[in-house]
Amino acid sequence: MKDSYDIIFAGVGGQGLMLLSAILGKAAVDADMEVLTGEQHGLSQRQGSIYVHFRMGKPISPLIPYGTADMMIAMEATEALRYIEYLRDDGVIIMSNRIMPPPGETEEVALDEERKTKYVTVEAIEKKLREITENIVLLDSLTLAKEAGNPRTENSVLIGAVCSCKDFPIETESVRKAVLDLVPPKTRDANSRAFDLGRDAGGECLG
Amino acid sequence: MTLEDVKRTDSGRALMLANEAIVRGALESDVKVVAAYPGSPTSEILDTFSELLDHFGDYRMQIAANEKVALETVAGASMAGFRSLTSMKSVGMNVASDSMFSLGYTGVNGGCVVIMADDPHAHSSQSEQDGRYFGEAAYVPMLEPSTPQEAKEMVKWAFEVSERHKTLVIIRTTTRVNHQRGMIQLEELNRTEFKKKQWKDVREQYFTVGAVARRLKAKLLEKRDNLREESERSIHNHIDAAKGDIGIITAGVSYLHTKEALRNLGLNLPILKIGTLFPLPEKRIAGFLRTLKTLIVIEELAPYLEDRITAIAKDANSDLRIVGKRSGHFSEMLEYNVPIVEKVLAEVTDKKPSHDYDAVLERASRLKETLPQRNPIFCPGCPHRGTLWAFRQALDRLKIRDKIVFNNDIGCYSMAFLPPNEFSDSMLAMGASVGLSAGMEMTLEDKIIAMVGDSTLYHAALPGIINLIHHNANVTLFVLDNSVTAMTGQQFNPNSPKDAGGHPAQKIDMEKMFEAMGADSVTVIDPYETRDCINPVKDAIEAEGFNVIISRRACALYGDRIKKEEGQKIIPSENDKETCRGIYACIKEFYCPAIVVDESDGKMVIQQDLCDGCLECRKVCPVDAPHHIQVER
Repeated sequence: MKDSYDIIFAGVGGQGLMLLSAILGKAAVDADMEVLTGEQHGLSQRQGSIYVHFRMGKPISPLIPYGTADMMIAMEATEALRYIEYLRDDGVIIMSNRIMPPPGETEEVALDEERKTKYVTVEAIEKKLREITENIVLLDSLTLAKEAGNPRTENSVLIGAVCSCKDFPIETESVRKAVLDLVPPKTRDANSRAFDLGRDAGGECLG
Repeated sequence: MTLEDVKRTDSGRALMLANEAIVRGALESDVKVVAAYPGSPTSEILDTFSELLDHFGDYRMQIAANEKVALETVAGASMAGFRSLTSMKSVGMNVASDSMFSLGYTGVNGGCVVIMADDPHAHSSQSEQDGRYFGEAAYVPMLEPSTPQEAKEMVKWAFEVSERHKTLVIIRTTTRVNHQRGMIQLEELNRTEFKKKQWKDVREQYFTVGAVARRLKAKLLEKRDNLREESERSIHNHIDAAKGDIGIITAGVSYLHTKEALRNLGLNLPILKIGTLFPLPEKRIAGFLRTLKTLIVIEELAPYLEDRITAIAKDANSDLRIVGKRSGHFSEMLEYNVPIVEKVLAEVTDKKPSHDYDAVLERASRLKETLPQRNPIFCPGCPHRGTLWAFRQALDRLKIRDKIVFNNDIGCYSMAFLPPNEFSDSMLAMGASVGLSAGMEMTLEDKIIAMVGDSTLYHAALPGIINLIHHNANVTLFVLDNSVTAMTGQQFNPNSPKDAGGHPAQKIDMEKMFEAMGADSVTVIDPYETRDCINPVKDAIEAEGFNVIISRRACALYGDRIKKEEGQKIIPSENDKETCRGIYACIKEFYCPAIVVDESDGKMVIQQDLCDGCLECRKVCPVDAPHHIQVER
């Protein structure tokens, strides 16, 4: 039996990964669980690849050993694949279907006069991820966020989906409370709806 | 949020980043003066002190022009009898070390603590420098924590040791400690009022040269011996007892990787965890070595501990087998993790690692073969994108791309060496572009061009610039003035009308300064008027003498924050596909991450949720296709 429940967060700078990590951190602390993270701060530019190692229970190192993370939360689809070495076999992936193409890829697509070069697709990413696990919750997080009434509530959609995972160790209502405590007060209702939409969508995927 | 936790006056528990725990430890120690220059992975220490400045109101703080000035500032406050703290990355210590070595001799008065962070893996630094040698070289005690909790405790102990022995104390961290968030036990905050003192009440001599230096050196060696005793008694060096003749000595974050690796292997080996890197607890180490046949030394970067332990083992246990870097088991490169440590521990103890980590990595790299790279890139709206574009256009028009040397410097603009620019010839250290330019200008027929940001200009480039002007150098200098120290989180610097806590400060007048120094010309351009920048840049490159181009426009992240505070909206742009002719000037050599291509018609599309509305892309488009979206008023 593992001594910790480990989550690898992946995304692109500017997507709010640190807030997501802070929300789960608060939820875990409020539920009297030990938390340890290895975060990537530093160069403050947007649009870079970023990650957070988020560990609950009795972890010792701030870094998750390869192949042992119980869950991955990816706010951008290609970033899920970029950090896949951390996920254990059959671990859960909660991911957005959003892809933010890096400019180098855009240049290749634009300058191919025969128009044969295409962007990487979510389907291609998903196919590769399925070699590691079938437990994938692929969310159209932007559409769900808009449905909740605010396109900037994508994080809450993802966190809602996290709570649909059966062995996730924090109670759903504790997580919801942490979300509502940390988002801007004016956006609480939309975030609460986004949370529910994510949880329902996750429940359907994971059964 | 954690800032609220740092403010708490009670003694509860809280989840904190180690950098915040360091601030909390200093506040619990009643620190009175803070000065720092930002540098990853320590910047959050400066940011947290800055944000809390007015909340507490009982300490003084400055964002210093560089790390040497920061160290001298806190040393000055210490000489005045105040507890003081500075933080810097270890390359910052290179800058500060001139004064640091002298302070080793003179000593200090009020507790004076330096946080110095190394960056194994060079996540955000120009080298994997191992700063641990500074302590020993300067006879200044150095501590190393593993966790946020320990970082906080060590800060408090460091103030005590500093005052007991009248010495500077350095706390050495690494990125994985600074950016580790964990549970900490708060202790009560008992802050006191800030009140200036009088020199006559605290006066000592802080003076070292010649005969005085020789006398101080003898005293310094005595001090070192006393500190050694302190180190032998310290709770920050401890043994995790276990049976057996295979033992481990480790420190810092490696201790955590080691403990988890042992758990994974179901092993229980004795560990001596070192918290005082200098002076080392040599007697405790010798005692520990005597109980062993095999010692495994686990530390990132250079064999600092290993070499010193090997020397101790020569007398304490000459038959000891030492497993470490010199035996080839561990690398001097990159940072460690549980798998790296676990594999060596498994090999030495004849066990199998708990996972086949190599197979996991191989499978992952196979799956990632076609994954597009995501290099660091300028943000949407970044003024540097326009400046560098105009710079390249000017070189093309002058047909001198292969007849120049471009000396780059430290800042976001360092990324000029990455696609799509890829044309920097050098980038060494803060301000080095101007120094290198002096030597190249003397020896090369090419035109020499140097580039610095506003923060780098005031940090370390000024002596090099004065040197160039003094020697009538024929050099073009770009100053990228984006208002703040952007890369580390948009902190204020001497180019800002503000200081720590947002308090008012005197902004240095850059044009007047260059004129007074004797620059042949100073031209200000606006990189958002990208196309219009080409000619002035051309002129400055062609001109003889020392010519300065100031490219002035606020960092997009900083500018957006100001806009938000003022209630202004950011209006994104869109591409007019009717006008767009698929020329791709906005894509080639421009690389804005908000820009993608519509695969159906090959036309450019702007992702509006990423767009900053700068319209630099319109300025580089030959047919002016991008424009702001229509917004309802």
